[in-house]
Amino acid sequence: MSGLDLQGVSVRLGDTDVLRDVTLSLDVRTIAIIGENGSGKSTLARLLSGLVVASDGTVRVLGLDPVRQAAELRRRVAVVFSNPDAQIIMPTVTEDVAFSLRTEKAPRHEKAERVAAALDRFGLAELATRSSHELSGGEKQLLALCGAFVRRPDLVVADEPTAYLDARNARRIADHLLADAAHRLVLVTHDLGLARRCDTAVLVEDGTVTAVGAPERVIATYEAGIRW
Amino acid sequence: MVTLYRPGDSPWHRLRPGPKMALLLLIVLGVCLLPVTWWAAGVMTGVCLVCYAVPDVGMRELGRQLFTARWILGVTLAGQLIFLGPESAAANTVRVAVACALAALLALTTPATELLETIERAMAPLAWLRIDPRRAALTLSVTLSTLPVLATLARDVREAQRARGGGRSLRHFAMPFLVMALKHADELGDALAARGVR
Repeated sequence: MSGLDLQGVSVRLGDTDVLRDVTLSLDVRTIAIIGENGSGKSTLARLLSGLVVASDGTVRVLGLDPVRQAAELRRRVAVVFSNPDAQIIMPTVTEDVAFSLRTEKAPRHEKAERVAAALDRFGLAELATRSSHELSGGEKQLLALCGAFVRRPDLVVADEPTAYLDARNARRIADHLLADAAHRLVLVTHDLGLARRCDTAVLVEDGTVTAVGAPERVIATYEAGIRW
Repeated sequence: MVTLYRPGDSPWHRLRPGPKMALLLLIVLGVCLLPVTWWAAGVMTGVCLVCYAVPDVGMRELGRQLFTARWILGVTLAGQLIFLGPESAAANTVRVAVACALAALLALTTPATELLETIERAMAPLAWLRIDPRRAALTLSVTLSTLPVLATLARDVREAQRARGGGRSLRHFAMPFLVMALKHADELGDALAARGVR
């Protein structure tokens, strides 16, 4: 299973070049994407999850073309966004997790078992019948994560998943994301402590990738560029 | 507030969603065909009480559902009292109340995912009109689940207005609310795509 391969990729939204000539080839388990607000980090994450199409260049995610093999990519890649409210689709916790398996062809009882196991794993079993929209921010983000993981993805793309959370809940979410060796992770984050826990870091500045490598080194480059 | 599924083991819970939807529809239809009289109002009330008199649902739930629909029922009762008199007002208001309560009974005893699948199946014949039943059922479901989010957004906008010393200006409310609602729609679209919905 190959990782991420971007060759000369640009993304143009309207008149703005959000990403310019990005070339990146990585085959590691956990990747942190860091950079300033508006630098193009989220667009890069959306590109990898097939939510944005490249204007130029070629993109391969797990060896798949996000445009021509979109259905296969959606099956194998799960996405977690920063705003948990926007990720809740069904009215109760269990139903929302079950929604992720809606397109899978599996017996009903098997789906129910997978949902129950996922709820248990994310500590949501006791909230199973609660209204999804009445959960706390941390619980909602756990629910979003649970909905992503129940599909057993090969790659999880998480776009600032701890942005709306307090320190304790942010830690819980990060631990869940980083603990499971069964999937690869692309993590867009402003939390440099979290970036340090990844195998590789990518620095995005003004729409281009300016540093790739060991997190400590990339973070040092990023911090050196911060003007006070 | 949107009615939520309550897990349980009542006969309503055990009934498959398709037959349950058809049965409840038939009961509502039957109730609608009754004459506008005092005794019909009594029969309708009796039917509704029997439907709710099962374990894991109960009279308290019926009360909750009627309380939720109180404004609709109040407006119906007032309008009918003014124009048609007490007997018609009572019969027609009970009819509306029973329809609301039985519709809620379906949502209360059927998981939303199963309801979605049933609606999809029921809409399958519309495919020859080039209406995608999957998409239509999902639209219905997403619309219902978005209502609480929009209510939260509206509250947030009003609080922000108050915090900045604003009054109850509709214009000052509508613009940020619209922007937030559109942003939410955008994010929800991404979330649906990310979860395999095209």
